[in-house]
Amino acid sequence: MMLVLSGGGGERLGVLTAERAVSAVPFGGKYRVIDFVLSNCCHSGGERIGVLTQHAPTSLHDHIGAGRPWDLDRRGGGVTILQPYLTRSHAGWYRGTADAIAQNWDFIEERHPQRVLILSGDHVYRMDYRALLATHLERRSSATIAVTRVPADQTRRFGMATVDREGRVTALVEKPERADTPFASMGIYLFDTEALGELIQSKPVDMVLDVLRPMLQAGGRVVAHEFQGFWEDVGTVGSLYRANLELVAPVPRLVLDDQRWPILTRDEERPPVRIGSSAILEDSLVANGCRVSGAVRRSVLSPGVSVEAGAEVVESVVMSDVRIERGAHVRHAILDKYVRVGAGAEIGSGEPPQHREHAWLEGLTLVGKDAVVPAGARLGRAVMVGVGATPGSFGDGPVDAGTVIPSRVWHEVSE
Amino acid sequence: MRTTRYAFILAGGVGSRLCLLAERRAKPAVPFGGKYRIIDFTLSNCVNSGIFDIGVLTQYRPTSLNQHIGTGRPWDLDRNRGGVQILQPALGMLESDWYQGTADAIYRNLIHLRRRRTDQVLILSGDHVYKMDYNVLFAFHTAKGAGVTVAVTEVPESQVSSFGILETDANGRVIAFREKPKSSPSRLASMGVYLFDRESLIRWLVEDAEDPGSSHDFGKDLLPRLVARDAGVYAYRFGDYWQDVGTLDSYYEANLAFLSKTPPLDLADPDWIIHTQSADRAPVRFEHGGRVAESLVANGCRIAGRVERSVLFPGVTVARGATVRDSIVMHDTVVGREAVVDRAIVDKEVHVGEQAVIGSGEARTPNRACPEHLSSGLLVVGKGARLPARLKVGRNARIGAFVTESAFAGDVPAGGVVDGPESMH
Repeated sequence: MMLVLSGGGGERLGVLTAERAVSAVPFGGKYRVIDFVLSNCCHSGGERIGVLTQHAPTSLHDHIGAGRPWDLDRRGGGVTILQPYLTRSHAGWYRGTADAIAQNWDFIEERHPQRVLILSGDHVYRMDYRALLATHLERRSSATIAVTRVPADQTRRFGMATVDREGRVTALVEKPERADTPFASMGIYLFDTEALGELIQSKPVDMVLDVLRPMLQAGGRVVAHEFQGFWEDVGTVGSLYRANLELVAPVPRLVLDDQRWPILTRDEERPPVRIGSSAILEDSLVANGCRVSGAVRRSVLSPGVSVEAGAEVVESVVMSDVRIERGAHVRHAILDKYVRVGAGAEIGSGEPPQHREHAWLEGLTLVGKDAVVPAGARLGRAVMVGVGATPGSFGDGPVDAGTVIPSRVWHEVSE
Repeated sequence: MRTTRYAFILAGGVGSRLCLLAERRAKPAVPFGGKYRIIDFTLSNCVNSGIFDIGVLTQYRPTSLNQHIGTGRPWDLDRNRGGVQILQPALGMLESDWYQGTADAIYRNLIHLRRRRTDQVLILSGDHVYKMDYNVLFAFHTAKGAGVTVAVTEVPESQVSSFGILETDANGRVIAFREKPKSSPSRLASMGVYLFDRESLIRWLVEDAEDPGSSHDFGKDLLPRLVARDAGVYAYRFGDYWQDVGTLDSYYEANLAFLSKTPPLDLADPDWIIHTQSADRAPVRFEHGGRVAESLVANGCRIAGRVERSVLFPGVTVARGATVRDSIVMHDTVVGREAVVDRAIVDKEVHVGEQAVIGSGEARTPNRACPEHLSSGLLVVGKGARLPARLKVGRNARIGAFVTESAFAGDVPAGGVVDGPESMH
């Protein structure tokens, strides 16, 4: 039994998660973030998978559907969406990772799994969970936590796990400034159902604070399993951007076209990429359905993007059906689906803003779904354009670094 | 009560003029347009027209086609009711077991009409590239009160000898039907798209089957006879793009037409998607130093060299320093470092060794084995062939499927032939 936590709203992804969960964010040209975990499940022999959703789940539900792309549309088992629900005695929302599991305990128990694997849908990596299971069985642990080495200056982004010489976890610290261990917890936990079931009785909220820590304190066997491949939590603008650009590195650490471990997704039927006579395409990943007559460098383009002659896209991530018109320049940017960049517009030029409140954007400009950037507009760095923004919202002069242009609700737009 | 619609697709075509491309697969299974197979256009026309109950008749080398169609998932044809069914000739059906002609093929499958509530039967060919809403044909058929409606398209005068040619009166009624005439006052060619009234079709096919003088073909026998008898044969004129990719040259031209600024069909039309069976492939990877112009490149390709005016199917690798020019390169072929592929049709899973030059020099010498099909300067390389490093291949050459490096005694001259191992039977 595998449970994928996909409820996260990703406040640190700004407009990209205004209408979708982190797990549903497009990634790598034609995938969604959750495809990596679902493909891992599928290739690791997982046959029963629950996906727990909460924040703006429509996009994720559409994507997963009956689970066909992952061969999870089965008569017995397969994929089940587990949404927060109401009962007569209690109301609703998942208050934390452990609470989400606790509220679905009936679903788990009815199926009598010996073990429960808890995963996050917000991570990009390729992992064979059977290796984790092997560690779990060999070490006879009650809980096995996947860990990966992170640089010392990154510890404040992660939950850090102290591991003794035998590989047992002795302490778990959330997001410390400094840590005496290189191992970050990947948010992947394999539990014996019985051990987890006991702790679930106490109405836990958080997996680390209310389940794993008490387990450690009670002397339970919690073992670490080290994972050495590429792994990235794409819950922030910077990490989402860097993980995308990793795919176009000269020697990428994340490989998409391994025939033995393909990343499966709900593919749209689109024609091959059409390339015009004056196009330049270098160090880029471009999906079917794109039309390129301009220049694309160190960028990732999702299906149906059109880059017209004289336009240039550099070091950017561009999602489905975006149109970049003649002579427009886009750099250091993430453009969400259906964005239109008018002729000659410039996005992401100049210096990033210095003010701390913009730091979370890491100098990247975000343009929300359906926004129309008017011809000739100048958008500086770390600008955030809201979903459905219309040309009128941009004002006349250049848009300074760090500016936020508000979203427009589509049925209220009267332009 | 609305009747459900049913279509037969004739997909047994031998495609002998496509030479190597159709040697190991039926013509409808020949790859086209960077990711499709020819039959995808007809299958997509059916589902986009709301026809979800289809029988595909196969005969020649059906493996590739069977695999492609499978349960019909890409076309939403994996259904509880209706869907797609492969209809192969079966032993013991009648005294002679193979399909004799197109009419015979349908005649032997009439049983599939027995339990279907359908007043008309659509009979299609899986050999053509076009987008057509068959609903318009049904409406025309009904409005005319026709017994059979034949879709026709205008072809250049030079091509009338390759098609079934129809003459019509002012009302669209067919007054003459001649299969591949030397010349004709008409330029209306049958598209191999027929809509029959069910009961008439059954009656006519039974009658044709009992005629010892018939070769049991729609174009040669049945339709000319119906026209002569004035049995209500109408021609529906189709004005849009329709292409019969019957020869290597027309196959090549039809593919390359999709590179023009105004391609003959919009493959990206969201209201008329051409569905196909596509494997999960990563987006195209354009590497440092690569140059691509005027080309179609499908998912799964890796481009580190130059690609000009070419169509690349999924999974093709063009290594650093290599050039692919004016060519069609199919799935998972690897063009090695500094190799050149020029005016070539390269089938799937071919390996072109480093610095090999495939296509250079004079184009006057036609192919030794099939001069009539391979004389315009194109060269063909069969599936799975392995071409050694530094090999030179002249124009109009033919390299057989699955040849290995050791099959080459030296360079291949213009019009040369290197045969592959006997194909497995």
